[in-house]
Amino acid sequence: MRKLFVALLCLLPPSLVAQDNMSMAASPSHAVELGATASFDAHGRLWMVDAADEHVRLRYSDDFGTTFSAPVIVNAQPEPIYYRSENRPKLAVGTHGELYVTWSQSLAKPWTGYVRFARSLDGGVHFSTPVTVHVDRTQIGHTFDALAVDGEGRVVVAWIDKRDAEAASIQRKPYLGAALYYSWSNDQGHTFVPERKLVDHSCDCCRIALTRTPEGDIAAFFRSIFGDNIRDHAYAVLHTDAQPNKVQRATFDNWQIAACPRHGPGLAIAADGTRHAVWYVAKDTPAIWYGQLDPGHPPRHAQVIAGAGASHGDVAVDGSTVWVVWNQVDAQGYSLMVRRSSDAGTHFDAPRTLATTASSAGSPQLLLWHGHAYVAWNTTEGFRVLTVGEH
Amino acid sequence: MRRMLMALAMTGPILAHAAALTALSAADVPGLLKPPGHGERIIELWALDCAYCESNMRAMAALQRAHPHRIELITVATDEITQRDAILERLHAAGLDRYPARAYTDASPERIDYLIDPHWGGETPRTFVIRADGTMFGISGALTPQRLSML
Repeated sequence: MRKLFVALLCLLPPSLVAQDNMSMAASPSHAVELGATASFDAHGRLWMVDAADEHVRLRYSDDFGTTFSAPVIVNAQPEPIYYRSENRPKLAVGTHGELYVTWSQSLAKPWTGYVRFARSLDGGVHFSTPVTVHVDRTQIGHTFDALAVDGEGRVVVAWIDKRDAEAASIQRKPYLGAALYYSWSNDQGHTFVPERKLVDHSCDCCRIALTRTPEGDIAAFFRSIFGDNIRDHAYAVLHTDAQPNKVQRATFDNWQIAACPRHGPGLAIAADGTRHAVWYVAKDTPAIWYGQLDPGHPPRHAQVIAGAGASHGDVAVDGSTVWVVWNQVDAQGYSLMVRRSSDAGTHFDAPRTLATTASSAGSPQLLLWHGHAYVAWNTTEGFRVLTVGEH
Repeated sequence: MRRMLMALAMTGPILAHAAALTALSAADVPGLLKPPGHGERIIELWALDCAYCESNMRAMAALQRAHPHRIELITVATDEITQRDAILERLHAAGLDRYPARAYTDASPERIDYLIDPHWGGETPRTFVIRADGTMFGISGALTPQRLSML
């Protein structure tokens, strides 16, 4: 077989041999549109957004997901929307109960988009006319939006941006992947500051994890590209002042792949600052890893949470309790799985099955309310909220 | 009439050489993975929204043409077969009309990923090689020289 591949090497198109400077990335291979995001507000009302027929829709539940309100349309004017698991509409609740929603609008050209934003200041009754968050309006990829609210109430939006890859392509210069840009609003989403580049060479199609630090800043954990297509992860705090951003490599698996794994990571930061993270690697065999980020160094307490068939992990922390959930596929279909740690992530209990489906499933999302963990899980059969339980 | 003829001339080659696209269900996977009688079967897994995939498919087709008696090439689109027209159009554009082509059909497509290769997380392109002796291996990503040198 080795000879076969030597022969293949001679046959590879020059562009491939020289540099796989693709302006686009491989991305989700299955057209499963199950992207949804949920969040509790300060009163325990569970809000969720998803999309259908070119509209982002908002619903809420006052009984932990047993029943939901009728949907409210976020964007009155229809527009094509990305709503797959890794690139799904986002929802965040502001300091005073504001409802902030972002999504990636799909443009006519494949793989392109704009990051869109709308807000409701009256508890989801009315939404503002959607705006495009970024100043750049070229018809390129501004997609995979991520949304969070910092300790001062600023609305922080980050996304994967192809402008630098496009510029390099025009100049016939190599450029791997995309870049990560972000912006924020100091006025409850009324206006956004011009976007700022965080870093070049992010992965092209993996979701960005955003979460709040104990200091109130927003931290990002995302798949990046190091050297020759090593698609490990980076960590950075997204500063909203004059401080320079410091992006540091945070995982060191050395997974080299000239494709997009379409698996973004998860991050939850404890009150003591411990950065609990989950991420996906398929260097030898697919696995979801857990570790505590020590940016610039390999994660601490790194361990495999789940092996072959596992995908799309999420993590949550409350004190010394850490939960990890993921989708596990096998010959029968999907299982929604959970593992729990009661010693701040040093050890995890055995995996437990929370639910199964023979249909398609979106990425599970962990939600906390007063120390109790819930999982939002969207399947072809419907959107469900599952109680994780104490054991 | 002239326009019609031109339109016909443009669509003609597609119709004449269109690959036969057949569905790949979970039940079909064992047949797909059955070792070939001799040589190697290369299963090139790709997706409509994978920009790395087309160059890989072209390279595999070139390899097959260089070893026509030894290599059997099958393309498998991991998209649902209901996207038949788009799949065939892309295969035609890549010059892969003459190769057997499959496309997924399953309520949970990731199940087929798993059945084809549990050590594959669904990323594309994925080149899966099955030898006559039953051994098999897969490589994810565009086949750069660096990737090949690792084999």
